[in-house]
Amino acid sequence: MTGPRLPLQPGTEIRTAPRPMTRERMRWYVDAQPTIGADDGRIHTQPPTIHDDDAYARKNGLPGIIADGMISTNWIQGLLCDLFGEAVASRSRLRTKYIAPIYEDQIVIAAVRVTSVAQAVAGVTSYALDVWCEDDAGKKLTVGEALVHVA
Amino acid sequence: MAVGRYVSDLDTGDVLGPVEYVLSPFVIREYAHANEMHHPFFQGLREGLVMPPTLIHLDKLRLYNHACPAGTGPDARIHYEYDCTMHEPVRVGARLSVGGRVTQRFTKRGRDMMIIEMELHDISNGHLLVSYRDTVLLAYAQKDVAKEAAAS
Repeated sequence: MTGPRLPLQPGTEIRTAPRPMTRERMRWYVDAQPTIGADDGRIHTQPPTIHDDDAYARKNGLPGIIADGMISTNWIQGLLCDLFGEAVASRSRLRTKYIAPIYEDQIVIAAVRVTSVAQAVAGVTSYALDVWCEDDAGKKLTVGEALVHVA
Repeated sequence: MAVGRYVSDLDTGDVLGPVEYVLSPFVIREYAHANEMHHPFFQGLREGLVMPPTLIHLDKLRLYNHACPAGTGPDARIHYEYDCTMHEPVRVGARLSVGGRVTQRFTKRGRDMMIIEMELHDISNGHLLVSYRDTVLLAYAQKDVAKEAAAS
């Protein structure tokens, strides 16, 4: 992503490039979970989940696999890191709510809009933002807000 | 208390953990890679790596595995809301303690939902590093509340 540099002004809106939520992307997140749990440097895989097995997803009342909500949260977080750097992992808040399922091959765009900028106090500027993911028709899939304190 | 079996058994007031671990560079880089966050503070060399805030979500699974060794239960969970506050950066090599509590279990529009509140602390100095509030649907399929009420 190439975007505006700090400081950002209220009203500034920034989007990522569109990304398809492919089966592979869903499985990367599925398999990352036991791999991280084992923490032994090797890849581990899970039993079937609603994020990588259509039959299992249908058994749970879904039409097919859907993306783990944390993927869209992470795509928003990645955009925040593009804009604010390590501050996002230092002092921040991010809240996201999954208001629509994300299906295989659906196009997803992460977006942020600066809602306010608090003047620097002790060298720290606080940015409040609306955050969301939308599809290529502009339908909101994930919504929320963020607060990032930048030194 | 409903700990000791399935995640779907958990109920308001249940305490999860604490569980202690050391934050490894493998964990940080693997999680960032899986989520396409190619930032140097997540995917660089060991020195200087920091925990992506969203990694707290896998600490929830760490607590589930610890408190509910029999697994998920009959239905797949669906995540509904993520709410994380970073108070201080969490550096690679840190010795950490994570604990949580089920603060609410309730039914909304025919679905069982659960809220867990968690905290991640630095063992070396006791600092609160991350607070996290997680809301899940315990099953996607809606219950037929009227039918259940009539049957009971």
